Amino acid sequence: MKAVLEVNNLKKELGSFSLEQLTFSLKEGCITGFIGVNGSGKTTTIKTILGLYPKDDGSIKFFGKDMEKNEYEIKNRIGVVLDEGYFYEEMTLKEMKSIIAPAYTNWDESVFLNYINRFNLKLNQKIATLSKGMRMKFAITLALSHHADLLIMDEPTSGLDPLIRNELMEILLDFMEEEGKSVFFSTHITSDLEKVADMLILIDNGKIVFNESKDELLERHALIKGDNRLINEHSTKLFLRLRQTPFGFEGITNKVDQVCEQMKDIIIERPSIEDVMLAYVKER
Amino acid sequence: MLLHLVKKDLILAKKYLLVMLIFAIVAPIFINSKLGLSNGSFISFLTTVLFVEYILFNMISFQEDKYKGAALLCTTPYTRNGVIKAKYVFILVIFIACFLLYNLAAVIGASYGLTRLSIYSVGVALLIISVFFGILIPVQTKFGYEKTKYIFLIMIFLTPFTLPTIIEWYQSIDININIDLPIPQSIKDWIPFAIAVLMGLISMIISIRIYSRKNL
Repeated sequence: MKAVLEVNNLKKELGSFSLEQLTFSLKEGCITGFIGVNGSGKTTTIKTILGLYPKDDGSIKFFGKDMEKNEYEIKNRIGVVLDEGYFYEEMTLKEMKSIIAPAYTNWDESVFLNYINRFNLKLNQKIATLSKGMRMKFAITLALSHHADLLIMDEPTSGLDPLIRNELMEILLDFMEEEGKSVFFSTHITSDLEKVADMLILIDNGKIVFNESKDELLERHALIKGDNRLINEHSTKLFLRLRQTPFGFEGITNKVDQVCEQMKDIIIERPSIEDVMLAYVKER
Repeated sequence: MLLHLVKKDLILAKKYLLVMLIFAIVAPIFINSKLGLSNGSFISFLTTVLFVEYILFNMISFQEDKYKGAALLCTTPYTRNGVIKAKYVFILVIFIACFLLYNLAAVIGASYGLTRLSIYSVGVALLIISVFFGILIPVQTKFGYEKTKYIFLIMIFLTPFTLPTIIEWYQSIDININIDLPIPQSIKDWIPFAIAVLMGLISMIISIRIYSRKNL
């Protein structure tokens, strides 16, 4: 599979926070979830990749081409949904579209109108009067109406109810049906990714913790439950994160075989993405 | 592409656009009738243009600051350079509109002594606008809308009071800076335009450089 985005040693300082030598890549045909707790650097990474924050060092390549040298061509092939929308709220949907559409060489008005009808949006409505869910749908409409090959979304599901979040996941799956499409999707609501993500990248405190296939990641880890008697100085080291209550322990491990060998009478469950994420995130 | 960004500014200013266009006709007649100066037409035009440009530009900057729309635009094929260039083109477009409306005002207000302007006077007006916005735009790009607003608000409101006094003083001391260039008068008339364009371009380059390092 070709890489649609390659980030190498990306560095960006932003006040007291910094992205440190970020290196990762996105594969074509995959939905990649970019996960991390609030303040971990997801938005900073996405904004730096898109050139909204000038990078301090490193290289960013989209479709094998340097962003700085091929800005126009690359931006024509990506669709972006930002966390806060960044719309001119005094404008109507039609006015906003009339500004965005001419920027793209391959804008497709019929695709745009299809999404507008599908989402029951009204073109003469002011953006300021849209609900958060409707605003996100409008952002997606704008991002998908020029046949983008890569869709980049920063926290699109944040603050949305489960119904709309589910609808968004369906849209992403529809988008992925066409060959050669890819999605990069940051979120701290990891349950959204359980259904749709192929790859997962975890960022914490400005550093990439892991970048691997969701299935492999979840197979490599296990949620172990058992009696507190099994927990001692030696067995504690087998867990990435361990929580004990008077009723027993619950822990996440990436040493499943060793745990199975050394601990009897335990319950082994498949962890959720959130379980794994929290196991790696350092407490602040 | 650039024209679509200018169109964006016109949409952002649309609430005030009609009022400003009417103002651009009425104000020169009113100011000229109140001033009663021999070159009142020029001052009336300059004051009007400065007001219209400043109010519309500020209206747009306010909304840009509030909604941060430039960030979304810069994720599309629009570039940072384009966003900055559009600001300067917008100033020029409004100047041309004000000039055309001033000519209409000169016809309506002929009985009040409002006369049509010479090419030289229009050039000087453009040069003053170019200097004003040539400073305002880079300063605003660097420090943001809020910080810049207060400094320029004081300056712009002082203009109608100070400008006639300065011009009267200038006329009374009768400074005669006459540089005899070996070029025809018809070309000399266009010199202020050339300087205005040059200043605008220098300012634009500075703004583009400042904006290229900004976090959007």
